[in-house]
Amino acid sequence: MISIKGLKKTYLSGATAVNGVDLEIGAGEILALLGPNGAGKTTTIKVATTLSGFDEGEVLVASHNVDSAPELVRQAIGYVAQETGIDYFLTGRENMRLQGQLYHMTKSDIRQRIDELSQYFKINDALDNLVSTYSGGNRRKLDIACALIHRPKVLFLDEPTLGLDTQSRQDLWRYIRRINEDLGLTILLTTHYLEEADKLAHKVAIINQGQIKIIDTPLALKQSIQGDVVSISFVNESTENQTFFWNLKTQDYVKDASWEGNNLHIYVTNGPQAIPKIMEAAHEALIEIGQISFSQPSLDDVFIRYTGASLNSKSEDGGEQWWEKWAGKAGPNNKWAKKWQQENNTDENWQQKQKTPSQAPVEQWQNNNDASSNTEFTGKEKTQSTNSIETEKKTAAPVKSTSEQNENWQDQAEKWQNSPGEWANQWKENKDDLSQAWKTAPQEGKSSDDETQKGSVGTADPTDAASKQAWDKNASQWQKKSDD
Amino acid sequence: MIADTWHLYNKYLIISLRMPLWSLFSLIQPLLWLFIFTALFSNFAQLPGFPGDTYLDYFLPGVLMMTVLFGSSWSGVSLLREINSGTVDKLLVSPISRASIVLSRVLHSASQVVAQALIVLAVAWMLGANFSWHPLNLFLILSIMLLLGIAFACLSNGFAILSQREEPLVIMGNMMTLPLMFFSSAMVPEAFMPEWIQTAALVNPVEYGVDALRAVLTKEINTELFLQGFFVTLAITLAALFWAISAFKGLRD
Repeated sequence: MISIKGLKKTYLSGATAVNGVDLEIGAGEILALLGPNGAGKTTTIKVATTLSGFDEGEVLVASHNVDSAPELVRQAIGYVAQETGIDYFLTGRENMRLQGQLYHMTKSDIRQRIDELSQYFKINDALDNLVSTYSGGNRRKLDIACALIHRPKVLFLDEPTLGLDTQSRQDLWRYIRRINEDLGLTILLTTHYLEEADKLAHKVAIINQGQIKIIDTPLALKQSIQGDVVSISFVNESTENQTFFWNLKTQDYVKDASWEGNNLHIYVTNGPQAIPKIMEAAHEALIEIGQISFSQPSLDDVFIRYTGASLNSKSEDGGEQWWEKWAGKAGPNNKWAKKWQQENNTDENWQQKQKTPSQAPVEQWQNNNDASSNTEFTGKEKTQSTNSIETEKKTAAPVKSTSEQNENWQDQAEKWQNSPGEWANQWKENKDDLSQAWKTAPQEGKSSDDETQKGSVGTADPTDAASKQAWDKNASQWQKKSDD
Repeated sequence: MIADTWHLYNKYLIISLRMPLWSLFSLIQPLLWLFIFTALFSNFAQLPGFPGDTYLDYFLPGVLMMTVLFGSSWSGVSLLREINSGTVDKLLVSPISRASIVLSRVLHSASQVVAQALIVLAVAWMLGANFSWHPLNLFLILSIMLLLGIAFACLSNGFAILSQREEPLVIMGNMMTLPLMFFSSAMVPEAFMPEWIQTAALVNPVEYGVDALRAVLTKEINTELFLQGFFVTLAITLAALFWAISAFKGLRD
C-alpha cells in the first residue's frame, strides 16, 4: 500500500533529513515508525502525504506516485498531524462538514458520513458543541473522524496520542485497532511511546539518522534480545570504561553490550548470575559503578541496540522549523560563528566545552528517567523485574513513578537537553558563578523530582554536598582541558 | 477553486460572526484617530489654500485608509497561527486548490474591512462630515476598500510566509500603517508638504488609494482622479495577490 524506495531529502540549510529510507507497508497493515527526534520520522510522513518534496527516490502511496500524481494520493489518504488541525471555534459537525467539502463530497454523502463516524467514535452527543469545549481525547477522536470522512485507504498518524492521559490513550488505541480491523485501513504511525508501538503495530520500523535500521514484528524484535539486560551507569567518565566494555564483550556470559551515552547495557542470559561477575570485573578494573540494575528486554532495549539512544530523552522533532531556518542563517555556517569556532580551535573542542558543564547533570537525569520507565513497565506490562543495587548514594535514582509523573520528567529532561549550549556559555563567561547556575537550573526539575520520590531508594538532589563535589571535580577537569 | 475558496471563506465567516466584537477590535484605532485628528487639526481648514471646507471632510478618506491598514495588515499573524496549529497542513493534504487557501483568507480580511468602512462612514456622518450617500458613490468606495483590503492582507500573508515569525511581521504591520499614512496626502494636503515627501508619495500605494477614495466621497465624482487611483490600486492588488499565492505555494518544499 505504501512503498518507499531510496528516499533522500536534504533541507536547504544542508541538514540531511532522510538518507535512503526504504519501507514497504502491505494493505491492512499497521506500521509504527520509531526513532529519536531528527531521525527522519516526520520527514518521511510529510513526503508520503505530499506535504514535502524530496530529492531522490520513489514514493508510492495507494499505488499512486507522490511526485507525479499528488492529487490522486491526496484523495486516497487521511492525515492526523501532531497538532490538531481542527478549528476550535467551529462545532464538531462543522469541522467534519468542511473536511468533506474540501474533498469535494456531495452534501448527502457528507451528512451520512458525519452520522456514521460520530456514532463510531461516540462523539455524537458533543457534535454540535464548539470544539473548544471538547476534552483532549474527544478532540483526537474528532481529528481522526475528520481524516476518515472521505473513506481513505491509508491513514497517517503522527504521534496520535501525544499529550493524552493514560485512559484516553488506551481508549484511542482501541479505536485505532478497530478502524484497522473494521475498515481494513493501512496505517502508518509515528510514536514516542514504545508501549504504543508494541500494542498497536503489526510491524515496527526503527529509524535512525535518516535510515531504517530494522523492520520486524514487535515480538520478533524483543526476542532478538533474549535473556536479561543489565544496565550500568558509571561514576566517572574515563577511557577505562571503554576498556571495561571491550573486556566484558569477550566474556562468555555476555551476549552483547552497547552504549547509551554514559550508560552501558549488557545483554546476558541470566541477570542475577551475571551481576556479581560484572561487579567483580569492575572492581578489578578499579571502576566505580554508580548504579546497576537488570530487567527483561523491552522494546526500549531493542531501540537502544539499534540507535544507541533511549527514546525517553529527546528534543522535538519536526522537519525544518522556522527556528532551524533562522539558525541556518545565524548558526554554525554563519561566518561570525565560524570565526569564533576557529578562534576556539576545533569543532571537537567546542563539543567538549559544551559537554563538560552540561552533560553530567543531563545524563543523571536520563538515568533517573530510564529507571522510572523500567518500573513503569513492571507495573503494567508482563513480568518485568527491576532490581536496583546501590553502590553510591549520590547517583541513585527514584524508582517508582506513575506514568504522568514520568512524562513530566521527560519534559524536564528535554528542557535540560535543549539548554546545554546556554550552560556552556554561562560556564565560559563566569566559571566562579557556576555553583549558582548549578543550583538554579536543576531545581527547575527538582519540584517534579520531589513528587516522584515516594518509594525511592535514594535521591539525586543536585544541591546536596556530594554532587556538588562531583560537580567541582568536573569543573577542575574541565579547567585542565581548556588550559591544554 | 471557486468552490474551495467559498467553503473556506464560509468557515472564516462563521468564526467571525461567532465573535463579532473581535472583528471590530481593529476599528478602535481608526475611530480614535478620527476623533483626535479632527479635533487637533480643525483650524487647519482656515489656512489659505486648504482644499475642502472642514478638516473632517478632508481627513475622511485618510480614516478609511487607516481602517484598511489596521484591519488587514495583521492577517498574516493568523496565517502563522494556522500554520503552527496544523490547520494549514490539514488543508494541504486535501486535494483543494492551493490558491484558494490564500484567496479565502484575504477575501475574509477584506470583507471585514468593508464592514468596518460602513461603520466609519456612519460615525463620520454623525460627526457632520459632508459626503454623498449615493449608491454609486458607496459602491465605488466599498470596491476600492475591498481591493485595498485584499492588497494589504496579501502583503501581510506574504511576509508571514517569508519570515515565518510573528516579530518581524508585527514590525512590518506597523511600518505599513502610520509611515505610509504620513507619506501621503491622507492627513496633510499636498500643497503643505515638503517637496521630498511629495516625491515619496508618488510611489506610495496608500496615496493612490486615498486619491481614489477622495474622488468618490465628493458629491460630484472626480472621474479622472478616481480612474487613476482605481487602476493603480487594482494593479497593486493583483500583483500582491500573485505574490502571496506564489509565496504560499513555496511554503513546503
